Amino acid sequence: MRIGTIRSLLTVPAVFAVVLCVHTAQPAAQGTRGGGAAEATPPSRPAPARDLTGVWMKATPPGVQSFNGATWTPGVPPPLTAWGLEQLKGNRSNNTGDYTLDQTNDPVLIKCFPPGVPRVYFHPYPFEIIQTPKAVLQVFEYDHFLRRFWVDGRELPTDPDLLWMGNSVGRWADDSTFVVETVGFDLRTWIDRAGTPHSDQLKVTERFRRVSFDRLELDFIMEDPIALAKPWTATGYFELRTDWELGEISCSGDYLEWPGA
Amino acid sequence: MKKSLITLGVAIVAVWAVTMPALAHHGGAAFDQTDRITFSGTVTELRFANPHVLIFFDVKTEAGATEQWSGWLTAPNKLARAGWTKRTLNPGDEITIAGSRHKGGSHILQIEMLVGPDGKELPRFED
Repeated sequence: MRIGTIRSLLTVPAVFAVVLCVHTAQPAAQGTRGGGAAEATPPSRPAPARDLTGVWMKATPPGVQSFNGATWTPGVPPPLTAWGLEQLKGNRSNNTGDYTLDQTNDPVLIKCFPPGVPRVYFHPYPFEIIQTPKAVLQVFEYDHFLRRFWVDGRELPTDPDLLWMGNSVGRWADDSTFVVETVGFDLRTWIDRAGTPHSDQLKVTERFRRVSFDRLELDFIMEDPIALAKPWTATGYFELRTDWELGEISCSGDYLEWPGA
Repeated sequence: MKKSLITLGVAIVAVWAVTMPALAHHGGAAFDQTDRITFSGTVTELRFANPHVLIFFDVKTEAGATEQWSGWLTAPNKLARAGWTKRTLNPGDEITIAGSRHKGGSHILQIEMLVGPDGKELPRFED
């Protein structure tokens, strides 16, 4: 990346800094949660059948292992193939602290490129599910990405276009489990913030399990015969926020030219 | 009055833009958690925008001089879910504000406590 003017020198690091700050989990930030996770939660109502509608926010129960920080299985490296390990060397992540903001080539940080799937789940903002007869829609507050999970019976494409957020189909496995399969991801995306690479053979399976009225557990299964020696799995935990509405965030509009403070 | 406040705000941003190389590695790690300070200050601007809501405020030193400071909060969407609007703080509001100071020594805080002009603590998170 060429840096020509003083303004570029000033704004580009500022963007990295800002995006890092916003995108990084802030453990201290939970200090003023009223009551919060340490208290027993009242019993929840049962989940409605075949219904994921609403605004969901990541909320990992205390003591439960889940994805966090920069990668899907903190402390356990991804099961990369030799090809995957080689590709990883070229991905200079700032979120792991291995590279500075000036050194990183993370496309999300330096260009506001779409994060892809399932990396989009790392952004600490809610998503909303909207169900229509032909497709279940997943809208992310972060950069208002929209995913369509076609439920009209079509098959997963065997020769998909490589899209930033992939090509998805969905089906109900039972009244509380919705399974989404996604293939065909743009090669410029990483599958986590640590720079874990993927090939055009990546398939992501998400099992949305609504375990009660206001709790969703989401199993991620990442399979890529070229990049991953075996499936890489993780589970996320989400809470329904009935009084929340998504606002607007534009990475390109809000972050790239933010002068900092 | 409003124009001079805007001018002041622009000047503040300009000052920070010039000093940005020292702030290039911002983020949580850029604030010194052991260097916590508390101020009584007067709001000059609330910038209620992504990626961070910023509060610009003036602080009177013991010597009687005025220092210009700013404080970082989280994203406006999160504060909105906690009840904030872009009018929650306004120029002239007297606030008590505390936080970790930026490591580079600039007049920037990561806000950890904020009391509004009515004496009530303002929420900083959506939960």
